[in-house]
Amino acid sequence: MLEMKPKPAAAPLPVKGKETRIRVLSLLVEDGQNTLTKVSGVIRRRGFHVRGISVGPSRQPGRSRITLQIDHGHAEADQVRKQLERLVEVVEVEDLTGDEVHSRELIVAKVAASELEALLQRGAKVLSTGPDGTTVEFSGDADEVGDFVNELARHGIVEVVRSGPVVMRRTE
Amino acid sequence: MILEALEREGVEYIFGYPGGANLPIYQHLPEHPNLKHILVRHEQGAAHMADGYARASGKPGVVFATSGPGALNLVTGLCTAYMDSVPMIAITGQVVSTQVGRDAFQESDVIGATSSVTKHSYLVTRIDQLPRVIHEAFHIATTGRPGPVLIDICKDVQQADAERITPQYLDLPGYKLNGHVNLDQARQAAQALAGAERPVILAGHGVLLSHAERELMQLSEAAAAPVGTTLLGIGAFPVKHPLSLHMTGFMGTGWCLKAVQNADVLMMVGMRVDDRVTAKLSEFAPNVKTFIHVDIDESEMGKNVRPHIELVADARLALEAMLPHVGKVQADRGNWLAQIDEWREEHPLRYRHSNGQLQPQDVLIDMYRRAKSEAIVVADVGQNQIWAALWWNYDRPGLFINSGGSGTMGFALPAAIGAKFGRPDLPVWCVAGEGGFVMTAQELSVAVEHQLDVKIVLLNNFSLGMVRQFQDDFYGGVRSQVDLTHMPDFVKLCEAYGLPALRVEKFEDIAPSFDAAERTKGPFLIDFRIDPEANVYPIVPLGKGLNEFREAPEYA
Repeated sequence: MLEMKPKPAAAPLPVKGKETRIRVLSLLVEDGQNTLTKVSGVIRRRGFHVRGISVGPSRQPGRSRITLQIDHGHAEADQVRKQLERLVEVVEVEDLTGDEVHSRELIVAKVAASELEALLQRGAKVLSTGPDGTTVEFSGDADEVGDFVNELARHGIVEVVRSGPVVMRRTE
Repeated sequence: MILEALEREGVEYIFGYPGGANLPIYQHLPEHPNLKHILVRHEQGAAHMADGYARASGKPGVVFATSGPGALNLVTGLCTAYMDSVPMIAITGQVVSTQVGRDAFQESDVIGATSSVTKHSYLVTRIDQLPRVIHEAFHIATTGRPGPVLIDICKDVQQADAERITPQYLDLPGYKLNGHVNLDQARQAAQALAGAERPVILAGHGVLLSHAERELMQLSEAAAAPVGTTLLGIGAFPVKHPLSLHMTGFMGTGWCLKAVQNADVLMMVGMRVDDRVTAKLSEFAPNVKTFIHVDIDESEMGKNVRPHIELVADARLALEAMLPHVGKVQADRGNWLAQIDEWREEHPLRYRHSNGQLQPQDVLIDMYRRAKSEAIVVADVGQNQIWAALWWNYDRPGLFINSGGSGTMGFALPAAIGAKFGRPDLPVWCVAGEGGFVMTAQELSVAVEHQLDVKIVLLNNFSLGMVRQFQDDFYGGVRSQVDLTHMPDFVKLCEAYGLPALRVEKFEDIAPSFDAAERTKGPFLIDFRIDPEANVYPIVPLGKGLNEFREAPEYA
């Protein structure tokens, strides 16, 4: 039998579900009309699946940072990095999977005004208060944000939005 | 400005079609007599011509098309070039930049439609971008793993006046070229090959693209390792060489497939190792202890088969770096090579030539006898393609052109026309089935207009032969929608287009028809009415491993 064993891959970030198939990548890309189309096009064409994405400007003018959580599907795990690196618009790909990282997601939620104490104890910050409820923000890693959402559910969520992750390697 | 930039890049031919959104370019074309424009009859034909031109000449092919349908008609041709790593520049007209997104007349999202079939693409909305973009496009198309690059230029940019042409420069921080060889890996690979008991080398299109044929032969001879080629790698190693295994893959030769399935070290050079090469992946080369993969594209490593030793590098440089480390071959190769010779005897290529019908192999053998490897064969897709691959003994690179990865029917005629423009010094033969031929037959006008010496060998079996064979063998014998009895009279069709043609139904008429074709200057078509039951062998049943190949029955 042909041995089809992938390169020893580092342990993936804890993400609910298909844990072993998630890669975490940080991309430095050139700003341009086509960049996001090209990146998402490659992901779709190669049978990968986006589980989390966030995009924002980088420190370098004319370039943006894309953070991706990608399910690599039936392909070898490292294919995600290799396929993205083929794109001319992609300047740099860093595979953070399994590394010691800071991974943060942001959540903004509106809840009933009287029910704030438990949320504030978790570290939520009040953004605004009105007659129909209070809007809070909270950030944390995927697990903390997940737990925060569960907590919110107990207080009756009026509205909630959650960002994709931003991830940086720890360098202490 | 566009045309000046193309002249600077050394462009000789443009294959194109004008329309509303590229009229400004065409307005200035007559001022550039160095740029020879070939007016095609359909944009797909332009893309295939540029493809054939590039494969035959080694220079990038250039295509013009207008916006909307014009550009979209290129998609199949772009995909064909992309799958086979062919350098091409497609310049498409786009609507005026302020009209983009308003569903203007003949507007389409060309970048969106072609992103997955191009190596790179640009939308140009400002004149100052243009010189850099064109220069970059040629650089990207022709370096590393080659491929098509599309430049979509808004009509207002085409009309804009530029004071001065800004100096050309490349601004490609994200474009990574893997040229260099990791010498440590090269040494490991060479030692694995030399230390093998049953080594096999498979060579793909990358060997031809990097001109590594000489290094391949040196390495093969030094390591006494036999070489098989992929369909696109044909010509990388002479078929008549004692170490040649001819073609691999699910329609490869029996002796090559047995060698692959029994090898203990398999080196794959400049190839994608796709499903047509491996057949059932889990049963591919089951006795291999060390897979070595050489390819310039890192993403090919482990895409289908995980190599134990990988060399992400130009094939020629990689093989060159391996050579000094092969050293003395440790194992006794005599047994292995003798075993392969036995398989060669046991599984010869054979066909039926006793039923009174015209056999395609008879046609190809006569052709080969005349050409003596001094001709380019451009095949279409289907049975004709495999017959043309197996029944010619290609001993030099660049003589066999076909759509291997994409399998595009209708490729052969326009690609043969392009090949003739690229290599006017060589005879060009177009081999096609009648099904693929009619898909782009309108390009006959181009061959006639330019009196191109392209000889068309139509292997006409009145059906979609490969599909018919699959239906017979693998789909319960149900012949469904493969009958092509209602086709034009090809001799009359050619007469209408203005080229001479002959119909051949008997073995005895093969030679005289080729004599007539060779005597005639300009295009010529021979409609060979071949045995409608003729099949391609060997063939591995769909979903099976390579060792389960079926051979032609032993005919009386």
